[in-house]
Amino acid sequence: MKADQALPQEQAPASGAVQARGQARSQWAQEVLALARRWWIELLRERLNLLFSLLQPAIWLVFFGAGVERAMDAEVIGTADYMGFMLAGIITFTIVGNGVSGAMPLLWDKETGYLDRLMSMPIARSSVIVSRFVFQVAQQSAQILLVVLVAYALGVRIATGPLGLLVILVAAALLTMSVTAAFSALAYAVPQHGTFFAIAGFVSLPLLFMSNAFVPLHAMPAWMQVVARVNPLTYAIEAMRTLVLDGWALRVASSLAVLTLAAALCLAAGTQQFRKQTGERVQRR
Amino acid sequence: MSAVIEAVGLRKVFGDQVAVAALDLRIERGEVFGLLGPNGAGKTTTIRMLTTLLAPTAGVARVCGFDVATHPSEVRRRIGYVMQTVAYRGLLSGRECVEIEASLYHLPRRDVRRRAHEVLDAVGLLPHADRRWTTYSGGMKKRLDLACGLLHAPEVLVLDEPSLGLDVQSRHKVWEYVRDRQAGGATILLATNYLDEADRLCNRVAIIDHGGVVVSGSPAELKRSVSADVMQVATGDPERLRQVITPEPWVKEIVGGDSGDLHVYVEDASVALPAVMRLALAQDIKLERVTYSQPSLDDVFLLHTGRELREVEVAS
Repeated sequence: MKADQALPQEQAPASGAVQARGQARSQWAQEVLALARRWWIELLRERLNLLFSLLQPAIWLVFFGAGVERAMDAEVIGTADYMGFMLAGIITFTIVGNGVSGAMPLLWDKETGYLDRLMSMPIARSSVIVSRFVFQVAQQSAQILLVVLVAYALGVRIATGPLGLLVILVAAALLTMSVTAAFSALAYAVPQHGTFFAIAGFVSLPLLFMSNAFVPLHAMPAWMQVVARVNPLTYAIEAMRTLVLDGWALRVASSLAVLTLAAALCLAAGTQQFRKQTGERVQRR
Repeated sequence: MSAVIEAVGLRKVFGDQVAVAALDLRIERGEVFGLLGPNGAGKTTTIRMLTTLLAPTAGVARVCGFDVATHPSEVRRRIGYVMQTVAYRGLLSGRECVEIEASLYHLPRRDVRRRAHEVLDAVGLLPHADRRWTTYSGGMKKRLDLACGLLHAPEVLVLDEPSLGLDVQSRHKVWEYVRDRQAGGATILLATNYLDEADRLCNRVAIIDHGGVVVSGSPAELKRSVSADVMQVATGDPERLRQVITPEPWVKEIVGGDSGDLHVYVEDASVALPAVMRLALAQDIKLERVTYSQPSLDDVFLLHTGRELREVEVAS
């Protein structure tokens, strides 16, 4: 029977450690792309989900911006351009929302047992989370471009121009890595999906309110400033807001550095949690 | 012969519950090996350890010579695991599911399409390959999982109750699949609750209960070890009948079934049958029904676990 024929041995035996590492890396890329293809197909077939998730941040900006703008004191927020001020907050809000909804497929895989099938395959433990991350960054970049376009129509001009927009996407991607890893870890750690939604719902809003998303840091009570300072959201917002309102500043670089650190920590913690929950304690790959 | 799967003193404890006590297994190359036992006997836990999904608490298990605890990646490359529950595949088509998994097994990109085509053909799903998974029947979903188990042409196939809940036609397709794979040289570990399935497909079986192997051997050997014949005697007073016939020389063993029937293991039913009736008549014990049969794996199971498999299933 054809299906039983041995496959052609496509990989020559690795002659050195370098070659073996190269092969492991290309296999890892293949795994991540294959899994991302799965997420991508699913998204395209869920048209309504696609439509609403793309439009959501733009709609938030319009309703929130238009409504709250008048209640805001330009002295406190430091600019008369409230839409411009809010843009970073809305983008961050979207990232947190995506983090929660982005962990859902992992939750389903776990509960329906497909995760076991994946774990019985010779794939790297990190590729599942990383594929989610790659997918989310792509989806979210589209959302961000759309909301920036809407903001442009409403008169918001990004002070640093197209290059600044690119850096905004980078900052968003870094924060996404932290948020995706954290919520994925939560999805794997909880006993069942009800617990996940309870915790995710409980955490999301305070995470936003304990940042400078809606109110600048200097307008907060002292204790809240302390909390906001250890919240990675604050740094993403600071970087994006500076790029939108002020222009290039050293603050942007330092914020990106903090975001990189937070992403590395969350990814390490997320992968570690994933390994623990999937009973993988032995092998690195 | 070389053992493809070997377990020595395999043990798994969850909290204070012992799921697998001290399990020994030896499965040779090219065999179809059946793992029989009621739900909760430790079949799935054993399989999850052999497929590297669970780390053993104690003991050693090797698949194709690789220790599942220290070389899980090597083991995963060599096994095709088909889970008991059908894998959820959302909005994808059958072909997309298979192609994605082919990439996860690191097949070179140029081979992914061809290989997906081959395995879909092997399970007869080619005509439905481009339909969405959600439109598949239960049997088709199962066959898709079975196809995915073949993608990397594994040396070992691990099938956890592959025909559970399927209709007769789909069960026959599963059996065909197992026979084809064996003919192709694969070693197959098959967990099942259906003794007829084990009888048909397996070269050897192990009956496990309470987390350990109770007895193992070929189905023919096991049935021979039970006895030549089994009589099922239904009576209103099984206890008295048991007392009356126990001393008789032709009785090898008497086991009470859960339904109240006595299962009397005898050398030759044609001699024992009239003797039972004569004794019952003399002692005024009313017999409701007396039948006899060649021993089945059901009888083997009953003899070694003291329970009928079907009763246990219903109870659990």
